[in-house]
Amino acid sequence: MPDLQMDMTVNGRRVTKPAGPHMRLLDYLRDELNLTGTKEGCGAGECGSCSVFVDGKLMKSCLMPVAKADGATIETIESLAQNGNLNFLQRAFHKTGASQCGYCIPGMVMAATSALRENPLADVEEIKERLGGNICRCTGYSKIFEAVEIARDVINGTLPATALDAPGAGESYIGNNVRRLDAPSKVTGALRYAGDMVMPGMLHMQVLRSPHPHAQITSIDTSAAEAMPGVACVITAADVPGEDGFGVFVHDQPVMASGRVRYVGEAIAAVAAEDLLTAKAARDAIKVTYEDLPAVFDPEEAMRDGAPVIHDYALDNIVKHVPIRKGDVEKGFAEADLIVEETYSTQPVEHAYLEPEAGLAYVDHDGVVTIVSPSQNITHHRHMLSKIIDKPIHKVRFIMSPVGGGFGGKEDMIFQGMLALAAMKTRLPVRLVFSREESIVSTAKRHPARITYKMGLKDDGRITAVAFAMISDGGAYGMSTEGVMRKAAILSCGPYAIENVKIDTYGIYTNNTPSGAFRTFGAMQAQFATESHLDICAEKLGLDPFEIRKGIGLGGRPADLARP
Amino acid sequence: MSGKVRGRGMAASWYGIARTATIDRAGAWAELDDGGTAKVVTGVTEIGEGILTVLAQIAAEELGIQPEQVTIGDNDTARSPEAAHAGATRQTYMIGNAVALACREARARLVAELAGFWDVSEDTIEAFDGEIWAAGTNLKMTMEEAVDLCKKRGVVPVGSGSFSTDCTGLDPVDGSGSPWQAYVYGCQVAEVEVDTVTGEVQVLGIWAAHDVGRAINPRGVEGQIEGGIVQGLGQALMEDYRLENGHTSTHGFAKYILPTSLDVPQINSIIVEDPDPLSPLGAKGIGEPALVPTAPAIMNAIYDAIGVRITSLPATPEKIRAGLAEKRQRDNVLGDAAE
Repeated sequence: MPDLQMDMTVNGRRVTKPAGPHMRLLDYLRDELNLTGTKEGCGAGECGSCSVFVDGKLMKSCLMPVAKADGATIETIESLAQNGNLNFLQRAFHKTGASQCGYCIPGMVMAATSALRENPLADVEEIKERLGGNICRCTGYSKIFEAVEIARDVINGTLPATALDAPGAGESYIGNNVRRLDAPSKVTGALRYAGDMVMPGMLHMQVLRSPHPHAQITSIDTSAAEAMPGVACVITAADVPGEDGFGVFVHDQPVMASGRVRYVGEAIAAVAAEDLLTAKAARDAIKVTYEDLPAVFDPEEAMRDGAPVIHDYALDNIVKHVPIRKGDVEKGFAEADLIVEETYSTQPVEHAYLEPEAGLAYVDHDGVVTIVSPSQNITHHRHMLSKIIDKPIHKVRFIMSPVGGGFGGKEDMIFQGMLALAAMKTRLPVRLVFSREESIVSTAKRHPARITYKMGLKDDGRITAVAFAMISDGGAYGMSTEGVMRKAAILSCGPYAIENVKIDTYGIYTNNTPSGAFRTFGAMQAQFATESHLDICAEKLGLDPFEIRKGIGLGGRPADLARP
Repeated sequence: MSGKVRGRGMAASWYGIARTATIDRAGAWAELDDGGTAKVVTGVTEIGEGILTVLAQIAAEELGIQPEQVTIGDNDTARSPEAAHAGATRQTYMIGNAVALACREARARLVAELAGFWDVSEDTIEAFDGEIWAAGTNLKMTMEEAVDLCKKRGVVPVGSGSFSTDCTGLDPVDGSGSPWQAYVYGCQVAEVEVDTVTGEVQVLGIWAAHDVGRAINPRGVEGQIEGGIVQGLGQALMEDYRLENGHTSTHGFAKYILPTSLDVPQINSIIVEDPDPLSPLGAKGIGEPALVPTAPAIMNAIYDAIGVRITSLPATPEKIRAGLAEKRQRDNVLGDAAE
């Protein structure tokens, strides 16, 4: 299909640049007009990161075909700060600390602008309603509500504009609510995340992923994909020159599946092409044949004899078992006036950072393989990639781009290896931007846990013994499981004095989506059980929940820690 | 019991900060620069938590300038010193202290030159907010003038800092060891309203008290607490990544439900400052621990409201309704037995 002739007004400027017929308004703004303040968070109208005004009406630009915007007047986040001066709403976001990672913030500012345009006197409940279509994963929304209320009052003249000024120096800059230095770049949409970055000659990457939870790859035929015009390269595990393997603790995950796939969504091959559409078409032209292998999806089943083995190095499917032993648990239970047993479980949870994974790689003029991505651990990623691509460490460079939310989910080097290989093979810059669906299916989750708890107590609430066992589904690869099991074990029983403990945490391989690092690293799951259990015990003993904890608490003195 | 019922619950928590059961370390470089500004370079910074601003505050305080005058060069393995990773609630603790040490060294270089120029003892020199002076005298100049003077005397005021923690691994048999040198503690109270007809739970308020060592930026600390609580609320009540034979049915935000502005309770943060005795700044951290007590506090509040103990997260309306039905049955049986 031929390009569409466009004629619209964008941020006060007439725009007639042609558009591809497949484009959404979001693509046109970002890719053709370079207005990257409008972000893509989900591509399905669920998150609001792409909000813009179309003829004065707040719209999600990911849902609007660009053809429908022909003749319209568009306002994007870039239109709000005139001559670089933040408007009242943006200044209020700056003042209250309403931006954290900042990725949702342009959309949030647009939604808040709409709220105050629709009703300049909106109260906080109405503001919440009007922001209900915009997801923020960092802030907990509270500082956003505060910002919109302050802006409303300043605009209405009921609060002086000085309310938006920076706090004074006072006597110290420690303990001072200095406004975030990065907020202006976030509330204006000026900050460029990896998916906003472009380089001349840049190729676009797409990744072929496994539809099978556990299968042997019997063949990969990339010839049709490679023959397509515009395709620069197709890469597979065979392109890895060094030791293929990454992971936060165990390097058990190949850059792309090597002979065997272990979960649905695992990368098998990647294409780099001149444009995204070609890359997608070429990805779909790769032919892979599989032989299904027996799979296991439940960690307790995976621990049984005869269960399918996920990794040959771990025949028992145990990624990590962390034991903690102290005192004599049987003696402790024998001394108890009350013994309470219960089981607890927690679910896998998605990080849901608004910025899907993205990265840009190139080989620089000195032959340094450079990866720009929102990596939470550039130090370790550089170590691992240098082994994978068999280059000296100073010939590998990681640059951490602005991270649009991480929460542990961007600690794993899940895609940077593919970018490096394609950049090395083509000697051109290569960019990969995950779709939301791809991000959810292929990246780590919070470990689900099943916890069996047995606690013995005296009538006054003192704990005589605890037996705690937690079995966690680590999924198909080790990622952070070892560390998560360690932290869960150490922190499991809370900040309480307990003489006799038997603690075991187990991270187990299955053919599920891998589990990895997620804010609290296992502590949340374990302490959910402990804090629920203490309330159950307190009720049985007729004690107040605060009193039982005060009686056994360590009082904030870690030196008293008898166990590790 | 019918209609909407309110209840309150509490939960406590603890957390070890920085890397676990291993020596953690971070490095930074600092330079007092022309115009009385500063450059600070370190390996890893912002993932949204506000660490850039915290580091600028630390540098400003140590050097005697303003946070806005600090330029942070960061996040590049080829251009900045190792600071490891953005996680483990370690950035304020590890990188903050590394930056403080680097700034102290840079400042000491400048102060030595100024002390020579003014002919005063180095320890009388103080600086804040862009000015530097010798206490007990009327000797004073701007930091811009001081840097210029220092350089004209042939010295570039630069410094470097490396900060590490003293920890050990765990014994593989009994787990004994010293996994962290700094701990934080917290406690949250949740107030909920349970609709006994629909099973829906609305969290009305959270009171959250957290020890952070020293709060470098109290508003930033609140932001971390609020964000952590809402993630905890999501895990407590709605979020659920579902898998069936390895295939997910929750592959988008239409199916994977996240907290929105309409789910957010009134959050009341209480910042407790118990300075860390083992580090130059006394600050600890808050990124992860804010989330730990939220879900159990909400579960305990649900129990307080309706007498139903949810032991399997999330506490969906279906589970609440099933729990209520089971409780009614149990109460009826008990009632019958009593008759």
